[in-house]
Amino acid sequence: MAEIFGKTPVPGSGEMGKRTLLEHLFTIAALVSAVLTGAVFVFLAVFAIPLIKNGLFFQLLFSNWLPQQHLYGIYPMLAASTMLASLSLALSFPVSLFTSFFITAVAPRQLRMVLLYIVRFMTGIPTVVYSFAALFLLVPLMRAILGRGSGMSILTAVPVLSLLIAPTMIIFFVNSFQRIPSSTILAADSLGATPVQKVLYVIVPQAWPGILNGLLLGLGRAIGDTMVSLMLAGNSPTVPQSLADSARTLTAHIGLVLAFDFDSMEFKSVFVSGLVLYVSTAIIMSIFRITSTISTGRRK
Amino acid sequence: MKKTKIRTRNICFQYHKKQILKNISVEFPKGEISAIAGPSGSGKSSFLIVLNRLWEEIDGVNVTGKVEIELNGQMQDIYSGRIDIRQLRRKVSIVFQQPNPLPMSIFKNVAFPLNLAGLKDRERISREVESALKKVHLWDEVKDRLKEDGRLLSGGQQQRLCLARTLVMRPEVLLLDEPTASLDARTAEAIEQLLIQLKSRCTIVMVTHYQDQIQRIADSHFEVVNGNLINR
Ligand SMILES: Nc1ncnc2c1ncn2[C@@H]1O[C@H](COP(=O)(O)OP(=O)(O)O)[C@@H](O)[C@H]1O
Ligand SMILES: [Mg+2]
Repeated sequence: MAEIFGKTPVPGSGEMGKRTLLEHLFTIAALVSAVLTGAVFVFLAVFAIPLIKNGLFFQLLFSNWLPQQHLYGIYPMLAASTMLASLSLALSFPVSLFTSFFITAVAPRQLRMVLLYIVRFMTGIPTVVYSFAALFLLVPLMRAILGRGSGMSILTAVPVLSLLIAPTMIIFFVNSFQRIPSSTILAADSLGATPVQKVLYVIVPQAWPGILNGLLLGLGRAIGDTMVSLMLAGNSPTVPQSLADSARTLTAHIGLVLAFDFDSMEFKSVFVSGLVLYVSTAIIMSIFRITSTISTGRRK
Repeated sequence: MKKTKIRTRNICFQYHKKQILKNISVEFPKGEISAIAGPSGSGKSSFLIVLNRLWEEIDGVNVTGKVEIELNGQMQDIYSGRIDIRQLRRKVSIVFQQPNPLPMSIFKNVAFPLNLAGLKDRERISREVESALKKVHLWDEVKDRLKEDGRLLSGGQQQRLCLARTLVMRPEVLLLDEPTASLDARTAEAIEQLLIQLKSRCTIVMVTHYQDQIQRIADSHFEVVNGNLINR
């Protein structure tokens, strides 16, 4: 904090007044976000406990979505979310990792700057832009390749979602590589290590908690994404039998089902979807916290 | 007549456009210890990394001029396109002023250059590591803790570890940046003896602050004055 505020405040001076005002603002901001997070949790818990008690929760989790037959289950959405997120991660993680290795250990200085600039720029593009572009470029292509359906499918959404989560991971990876002391990298250089050897023997052993964390962050983004799956995966609420099938993710389900009545089954279905997303994100973030502690602890 | 091992022509060294060294043209004879002295911040360490092109890995550095080194029995321009830069750094190897053990065990630190070279024979690696650690008088202190992280050693031990790490590469030129700075008097003397022994296989360019050390072991003596390297 001292660096941010510069001089040490003199009691009774204007400096002091400004600082305490800022501190109050920070405190209020922290309190508001804590209260909101807590409120979301309480809201979820209040609705979840009765659902879990009467068994409806698990019933909804594992049954199909057929409202005409009074089935409001989210199993198809659960399957679609899992498939889409894991496939996107499986595609995006290695690409991101190798891009980060390239940026850190291989690319000459100018190219490194350009690549990092592009990657940072990509994180700023709203997801709807990616989806919109894909709607005109990728969807017709997929329709032609698959030869059936609308061209919207898991297979259509996977590359776009991969592209969406890659910059986040790349920036995270590159940052964790750059935290390795330059003297360590220079030691490897002075012993005649090739870029690949530097990556294998120096960068990865030092930065693996950062790599794991970037992976978790990417997974979190992939699960939480709404726009790409809503616009490109086709939204059909059935368990996808193949990657070429149209599918609806949990996030898209929440967006698509209109439920205003707290007692309706539609609402309960949407609610369980939200709960699943909340819990899985919470688990991912807890692992993230643990590995973050490992990675900072190791550097001491 | 003495044979020249290293010859530089008009070496200029810049850090972010700031001129550190200018127009250095010197020769270092083969099989000798050449000492470089000079005030701190004058560019002694900078000069060493010109000789194995390590400056190319550091942001903001620019070097011009020519360096010729006798490698494999032949005078070669190290900045020519034919030079394999990794091979160069193994033949002209450096021990830094600030010891920089790699994040791995003591044993692996010393074995690392051998692994990089693709040596697989475990027994031979063990032998080489042991012999290098004995040469730098570190073996007795670490022989029971070879699996410990190299970064846990004391400063003086790390310095000797880094020296051992370069010795396994059998360099033709050793660039040493204040090699005895963090050693006690007895260990420093042992290392000095090692350097004298190494002269039969190695040409040594050594940065040092100690006038008495220069007297004891250096064959020639240079000083950095205003960005130039002057033979005393
Ligand atoms: N990373 C760096 N960035 C900018 N300037 C540097 C850097 N490292 C060293 N310098 C400058 O280069 C000059 C020479 O440094 P160095 O070669 O380490 O001197 P010496 O080894 O003689 O003490 C010093 O003035 C120092 O401030
Ligand atoms: Mg120095």
